[in-house]
Amino acid sequence: MAVPYNTELIETLSMILIITSVAAVESQNLKRAAAAYCLQALLICGLILAFAAGNSALYVWALTALITKAILTPWFLLRYIAKTGEQEVPAIVGFGPSVVIASVLLVSFYKLTHTYVHVLAPTPEAIAGVFRTNLAVALTVFVLGLYAILSRRDAIKTVIGLCLLENAVHLSLVSLAPDMRETALIGIATEVVVTVYLLLYVIAGIHEKVGTTDTYELAELHW
Amino acid sequence: MEQSAPSALTQIVFLAPAAAALLAWLLGRVRRALAEVFALVGSVAALAAAIGIAARVLRGEILTGWGPELRVDALSALLVLLITGVGLPATLFSIRYMRHRRLLDPDGADVTDKRLPGFYGLYLLFLATMLWGCVTNNIIMLYVAVEATTIASGLLVAFYWDRRSLEAGYKYLMLLTVGITFALFASVLLYAAATPYLPGVNAMLISELRGVASLIPRSVAIFVVAFLVVGFGTKAGIAPFHPWLPDAHAEAPSPVSALLSGVMIKMAAYALARTITIFFPVYDALTVFVVVLGAFTMLLGGVMSLVQDDLKRLLAYSSVSQMGYVIMGLGFGTYLGVYGSLFHLLHHAAAKSLLFLSVGAVIYATSARSMSQLGGLGRRMPVTAVCFFIGAFAISGLPPFSGFMSKLTIFLAGAQAGMWAAVGVGIFTSLLTLIAVLRAGQAVFWGTPRSGDLSLESVREAPASLWLAMGALAGVCLLLGVYPQIAYPLLHKATLSIAGLVGY
Repeated sequence: MAVPYNTELIETLSMILIITSVAAVESQNLKRAAAAYCLQALLICGLILAFAAGNSALYVWALTALITKAILTPWFLLRYIAKTGEQEVPAIVGFGPSVVIASVLLVSFYKLTHTYVHVLAPTPEAIAGVFRTNLAVALTVFVLGLYAILSRRDAIKTVIGLCLLENAVHLSLVSLAPDMRETALIGIATEVVVTVYLLLYVIAGIHEKVGTTDTYELAELHW
Repeated sequence: MEQSAPSALTQIVFLAPAAAALLAWLLGRVRRALAEVFALVGSVAALAAAIGIAARVLRGEILTGWGPELRVDALSALLVLLITGVGLPATLFSIRYMRHRRLLDPDGADVTDKRLPGFYGLYLLFLATMLWGCVTNNIIMLYVAVEATTIASGLLVAFYWDRRSLEAGYKYLMLLTVGITFALFASVLLYAAATPYLPGVNAMLISELRGVASLIPRSVAIFVVAFLVVGFGTKAGIAPFHPWLPDAHAEAPSPVSALLSGVMIKMAAYALARTITIFFPVYDALTVFVVVLGAFTMLLGGVMSLVQDDLKRLLAYSSVSQMGYVIMGLGFGTYLGVYGSLFHLLHHAAAKSLLFLSVGAVIYATSARSMSQLGGLGRRMPVTAVCFFIGAFAISGLPPFSGFMSKLTIFLAGAQAGMWAAVGVGIFTSLLTLIAVLRAGQAVFWGTPRSGDLSLESVREAPASLWLAMGALAGVCLLLGVYPQIAYPLLHKATLSIAGLVGY
């Protein structure tokens, strides 16, 4: 059966979505990074709604994403950023080189996954048409999230990187496991929010005791 | 031969501590003693349920709950017994330990006192989530449970809320969450790949997935296994994904360390064993890969434990090393290998939690945990010293303690499989472990204190409730070494539930 997916809409949203991850990673103002993250979460809701044309169960997914990713997570982020300051601790790589690295990662990884995603595709449906774009986008966002976690010194920024990672997973489920039950999905999404909250709570503690959110200052424990 | 039987025990075993967690947290705020009472009640109830489960599983039943959602075979029963069996002594230990003023944070004992109900709430929740992970049959829920253990224990690691424990807590939450996300990805891929062959919800059931492992496309299977190893392997402390482990296990309060090192990493190894072994019959080369991973892990942990001054970090690195044995035995893929692996799991749970509790008793008495500060405690703390040495001998594999039997089984399995290099690494690492723990024991219990801050006159032996907890675990180490047959019925059945796949 052919489902009337709005291919153009899905592809446009997907492209903007990738750009929001770059903005979230590269913005040196944490508030703006959180805003970019929030925008990305909203785009994910939009995308899931677009996919819901073929599978009405996805409306629940969109709602879950809206509550956990577009409302709660940015709210927690902004609350803690207000406590710890909105200027990011400079990253390992400078702003210019970092934008270049992120762009290269983005383009090459998207190309790579879009071309070779069949090696990872569990079912033929997962990579047919718009689902292929979706999976490639999800994997690209995943890699950008990993890049943020590995290259940033600011603890809050690493949490934003983690959020990108989880967004990517949520998005990939649309292609990979659209029949998954809501309970499992809600379980996964809830845990992510709780983890993010706990991380921010601990980071606020670090800020209180150490006076910074620079992970390089956290060097008491090694070996 | 084995029949499925629905049983409420499968739910009680994790819902009881979860309910106790809520009560401990709520009522503990009214009276602190209530938090402690519910901690004990929750731990005892879970242990009682676990014994009930084990008894029924030994009669040849497979217990189910909530339809096919929960499934307890002998392997699950073993883990449930192990978690609750270490859980109760650790709870008993924490009652006096967590009340000890000198250990509490500089904000003042009153502040930490107020946090104790939260401590017991999270502690019981941590137990409950681990138990849930071991009884679920749903691969997605297995991920959810493993991540839930991280959430429940994150604030326990950072409990002292000082610079070191906060750093450990941040790393713990961040690294484990990133790592476990790979396991989620793998679980989803596996589920999705199985949907064409299994109707609806069945594609999520681990017991059903085994049957279709050979139908999953090869490239997908490779990704699934790789991601599972990264995901659950991070949680199990397998090198090179282990850097969070020494930090978290060392900085957490000692009873929590005992749970983290004694059982949490075992539960992750269980998750790994449950999931990747479904591919063993299809992909032979996988077993070699797992053996190499195990050998690397054990050697790295063994070497790192040699250079530690901090007793708890030493024990934590030794846990990394011991997980290497578990993984290696699993990798041999034979009946004897898996049997040795599970035996080692059981032995290490008892021995390592005993060691962490003994070091906890030393910290209780002296507030110090570095070898460079301690010394000469043997005469002042004879019970703790004996318990420490039983744990130390067990973990280095000396007869007549538990580690001797479990390591011997693994080495025999390696010899049988013809993997002599792996056996060599294992024996060499045993030697490293022996040196590390004996050096630590000698530094702490013999000679004189190496730091002027510690005067032996003021050192008192730890209170009786601490001994009781340590004594129970020491008894298990001795029993398993002298009379290893006692564990045979359960271990045999548990082994068959994994190795049965490989044609035994």
